[in-house]
Amino acid sequence: MSLKELSSLEKALGLKKPNKYSTQGDRKVPVLQSINGPALVGLVTIATHLVQEAKRPELLGGSAEHKAVVQQWLEYRVTKVDGCHKEDIKTILKDLNSYLEDKVYLAGNQFTLADTLMYYGIHHVIVDLAVQEKEKYMNMTRWFDHVQHYPGVRHHLPPVVVLRNRVYTSGHH
Amino acid sequence: MKLFVSDGNPHCVKVLAVLEFTGVKCDVKHVNHEERVVPYLSRPALPALLLPSGTYLFSPNSICQYLIEVNGQESSDIVNQWLEWEATELQPAVMQALHMVVLQGKGAQTTRVLQGPLSYLDQSLSKRTTLFLTAEMVSVADVVLWAALYPILSDSSLVSGNQTELQHWFERVGMLAACGSAAQTALHGKGLKAESLKTYLQRQPSTHHGQGQVQGRGSQPCN
Repeated sequence: MSLKELSSLEKALGLKKPNKYSTQGDRKVPVLQSINGPALVGLVTIATHLVQEAKRPELLGGSAEHKAVVQQWLEYRVTKVDGCHKEDIKTILKDLNSYLEDKVYLAGNQFTLADTLMYYGIHHVIVDLAVQEKEKYMNMTRWFDHVQHYPGVRHHLPPVVVLRNRVYTSGHH
Repeated sequence: MKLFVSDGNPHCVKVLAVLEFTGVKCDVKHVNHEERVVPYLSRPALPALLLPSGTYLFSPNSICQYLIEVNGQESSDIVNQWLEWEATELQPAVMQALHMVVLQGKGAQTTRVLQGPLSYLDQSLSKRTTLFLTAEMVSVADVVLWAALYPILSDSSLVSGNQTELQHWFERVGMLAACGSAAQTALHGKGLKAESLKTYLQRQPSTHHGQGQVQGRGSQPCN
């Protein structure tokens, strides 16, 4: 799963030479093999490294504040979204929906690596949402649709249909 | 800038240690465990840092990275890697072990939970060529890992005698004044025996730290 993400990320970043990866442990944590240094372990660590290699530092956030916000949502992805319990999904969707109420992307108005990895990580949840649920979490769904249409992001994943017109008008809270 | 912490919350040791370590100016406000500081999160999340722009940071490691960054130090791949390991591998094991020992009185059984991550850290420390984890100088990775392990490793009953590299490193980092005073502020310097730690743990949802789970993760993940 995470190896597909890293391969998609490489393409999105325009990195020409694909890297060599393996996985370690029960959770299949990705490992990036390197010729000129020690191997790097962990999805967030490797993804951050790839962004730097591609010389796209703006994807990690411009200011100290934005960098911390990007790191926070990257960590949220690997600690809260990955391997979450069924009963936790609603909390995650609710919190993201509430957070995204006044934001276009996770770090505000600027698209970052946090959006890409959160999109990859939450895709399997959104695919299964009923239309009514998508409307309930409207800010989150709007963010998801923005990210899946962001140039170069959606490589290995099928598009999710997001209706722009409400079907259930009474479901709003 | 305002840092919200709660008494007995082991996650607060990290941010208090890094705050003093960096010397960044910041108000520290003590609140109850249940206080919902971050408006968009449905469960209480402490520690939390309120930035002058109105943005909240709710992940302890991101708060630490922010404090380091405003202090003029840049993060590196190796530091990022240790912080990610701490959040994904070490933290679930530590929280599960704390539950077992403090709430269930099953100190002897924590070895099963802690063995994997502690051996990994001990082996990594044996292989390194620098005084600290990532460099000759203490880095944010040392302070965060020290703080995460403080309640466990400061208790002699839970320490395994054969992880000597880990022990030496833990003592060396613990000599920093910032570490000592953070342990004092958050856990009254009592580690596992702090009454406030027990109160904190009792109020955490227990489903994630059940006895049968080694990774602190559910047996039925949603993906």
